[in-house]
Amino acid sequence: MHQGAWLLWAFSGGLVAITTTNPFYLLPLLAVAWVVHAACGRPGPQARSFRIFLIFGALTICTRTALVLFLPDIQLGNVVEAAMEGLRLAVLLTVFGAYNTVSDPFGVLRLSPRRWHEPALAASLALSIAPRTIAAVATVREAQRMRGIEIRRFRSLPALAVPVLETGMEEAVMLAESMDARGHGRGRRTRYRPERWGWQATIVSVAGVLAVGVAVSALFGDDPSLGLSAFPIVWPEVSPVMLLAIVTLSIPAWLPVDSPTRKSR
Amino acid sequence: MTIIDFERVSFTYPDSDAPVLDDVSLSIPEGTFALVTGHTGAGKSTFIRAINGLVPHFTGGEYSGSVTLRGETNRNTLDSAPRDLADLVAFVPQDPSAAFVVDRVEDEIAYSLENLGVDRTVMRRRVEETLDALNIEGLRDRSVRTLSGGERQRVAIAAALAPGPRILLLDEPTSQLDPQGAEDVLAALQRLVHDLGITVVLAEHRLERVAGFVDLAVGMRRGAPVALGDPARVLELLKSGPPVARLGRLVGWSPSPLTVRDARRVASTLHLTARPEGERVAGKLLMEAAGLRAGYGRRVVLNDIDVSLDEGEIVALMGRNGAGKTTLLRCLAGLHRPESGMVNVRGEAPVAGRTVSLCPQRPESLLFAETVGGEVEVTLKATGSDSSIETALDALGISELRDRHPRDLSAGQRLLVAIASVVATDGPLLLLDEPTRGLDHQSKTRLVGFLRSWANRRRAVMLATHDVELAAEVATRVMMIATGEVIADGQPRDVLGDSSVFAPQMARVFGPGWLTPEQVVAAL
Repeated sequence: MHQGAWLLWAFSGGLVAITTTNPFYLLPLLAVAWVVHAACGRPGPQARSFRIFLIFGALTICTRTALVLFLPDIQLGNVVEAAMEGLRLAVLLTVFGAYNTVSDPFGVLRLSPRRWHEPALAASLALSIAPRTIAAVATVREAQRMRGIEIRRFRSLPALAVPVLETGMEEAVMLAESMDARGHGRGRRTRYRPERWGWQATIVSVAGVLAVGVAVSALFGDDPSLGLSAFPIVWPEVSPVMLLAIVTLSIPAWLPVDSPTRKSR
Repeated sequence: MTIIDFERVSFTYPDSDAPVLDDVSLSIPEGTFALVTGHTGAGKSTFIRAINGLVPHFTGGEYSGSVTLRGETNRNTLDSAPRDLADLVAFVPQDPSAAFVVDRVEDEIAYSLENLGVDRTVMRRRVEETLDALNIEGLRDRSVRTLSGGERQRVAIAAALAPGPRILLLDEPTSQLDPQGAEDVLAALQRLVHDLGITVVLAEHRLERVAGFVDLAVGMRRGAPVALGDPARVLELLKSGPPVARLGRLVGWSPSPLTVRDARRVASTLHLTARPEGERVAGKLLMEAAGLRAGYGRRVVLNDIDVSLDEGEIVALMGRNGAGKTTLLRCLAGLHRPESGMVNVRGEAPVAGRTVSLCPQRPESLLFAETVGGEVEVTLKATGSDSSIETALDALGISELRDRHPRDLSAGQRLLVAIASVVATDGPLLLLDEPTRGLDHQSKTRLVGFLRSWANRRRAVMLATHDVELAAEVATRVMMIATGEVIADGQPRDVLGDSSVFAPQMARVFGPGWLTPEQVVAAL
């Protein structure tokens, strides 16, 4: 599918997530991200990075909740509120994680207008860092295990960090060398076979725009179901329209694969 | 007409006292297939990088002299950055996977063309032609991260060639390829030289395959080219070369032959009195694996494999890129859980880092201490071994490196350090995954000596390798795998001897069974 449609999908998912702290909206959105990742994920190291985003999400919930414990006068409501805010961030991360597994990190680069090429390149390299580092961590852990060093405690951290950083640095330099040697940064630039916008891309984009539209109108319409009343804790309401909008975001998983995606020239 | 001119080029890396290039003046004629060779640390990579200006533009350091490239106009690498020379000279680094910029193979090949601002219609045609030239049409839609070593190398070369450069630079292009893959890449390069008049300059350690293709050699020793010219003469001066050249020196042929063809022509003067002999090494059973099936997701990599290793054995595991060598080693090491089958070492399940140790393909993924000695010490502490640092370093012949920082060493030396810190675990089974990248002749001799003495002490080694000559020299048994199955398993003289792809040079000259020049000389 066209990279632009994926980008739009990720933005829509992210925007919907930040409008609400209602778990009955956030959890379905989490499921949507998971379903899309499972159905459309590309093979390779990115596929594994989804799990890491989930772990980071869980950590975010814990950290956000733990912060409340330092308050002088805690009530259960504070804890619930904090946990839901943590959940919101976690869902945001998961949507981003799903985007990372379904999209080509350099797809963004192909979309960017010529004058934005440099920042877009920096962005796509940054996007590719997470999966690369995860792969490096796995390799180094295994290599150290094979000589009897189990990386568990803080003391053994250098055995992991030094090789990961060093190979990372080395790779970064090699990449920079290769890019320069291949003419990167010369003034004129053309684009090879731009992607074709298929009907699948249109459907996904419409779904994304609709979902954002519903969420934003709910936000400006002061829809009480978006938030969570914590003092006292009340079972949150659910608006069927909002729920439907969220479920619609899973549409990429149900569409047939959009394969020949390039213009012929 | 010359196309590359070095004029009194000297270069010293920042934070270093000794120059890597020392007053180099030489010219390379257009349409040459040139080989740059010499020990690791002799400055081969630096020499190659100086041709397209990566040295000094990317490295900094002290630079004097000039390199001129003669295209439509003369261009100097000091005045033009590498990117401004990209239409004239292309570069394929040693590890192509680190050099890929985008994700899809087709886009990767178009990347340089986009940067050079080539018109869209021309670009499309060039990409198609390049895909065909390297025979990688089938890989077009694949992600570069999922390719095998050989595929990656060919994609990297295609990506370099697409803009139609006049000069192509390659740093050890065949070090990760199986014999057939390497042959294909070299033949493709030679075709470019002959059909298109491109000048190819490549740095390489393993000379047995490349020697027959090149028509000019630059021999480097400690930063200065000691010789430039006919490959046979240069390699003779450097006292290096493929096994046929080593044989030539041992029996006093002058000039030494460089290819199997040359050697066969003079070999009839030798009268071999004995038949090649090989003895089967058999000791107590050390490792046994049966019915191994393993894969990644739906892809089956190992299909019902049985392996066993006796004490004293050095088994070379061979097969084309992607045949499952690494996966087999990972299963034996307990890093990859097989779907079915069992592995045991001395009757028990293997314990990583205790009863079995594996040296990774890249030593960099292991090294982190400040000194070479420290690196071994870490292992000794982690495993509670009472062995000494000296013993481990001595075994690999690298005691003199004890206080050096691993990062400052050459690729070959770093590999020896990695092996030393892995074998310090003192487990009975050692697994090595392609321990030949960047390994020069000297380091290889040390590795061979180590493997023999290690196996002699009631232990066993299994090494996955593409290096046929290394296998012929050191292996007591060769196991060949293809499509996840064992297709041959036996003594090197039988398995390697009658193979068309995996035969060592001596077998090609004297017939099946002969493995090394030393063995031939002993039979005279």
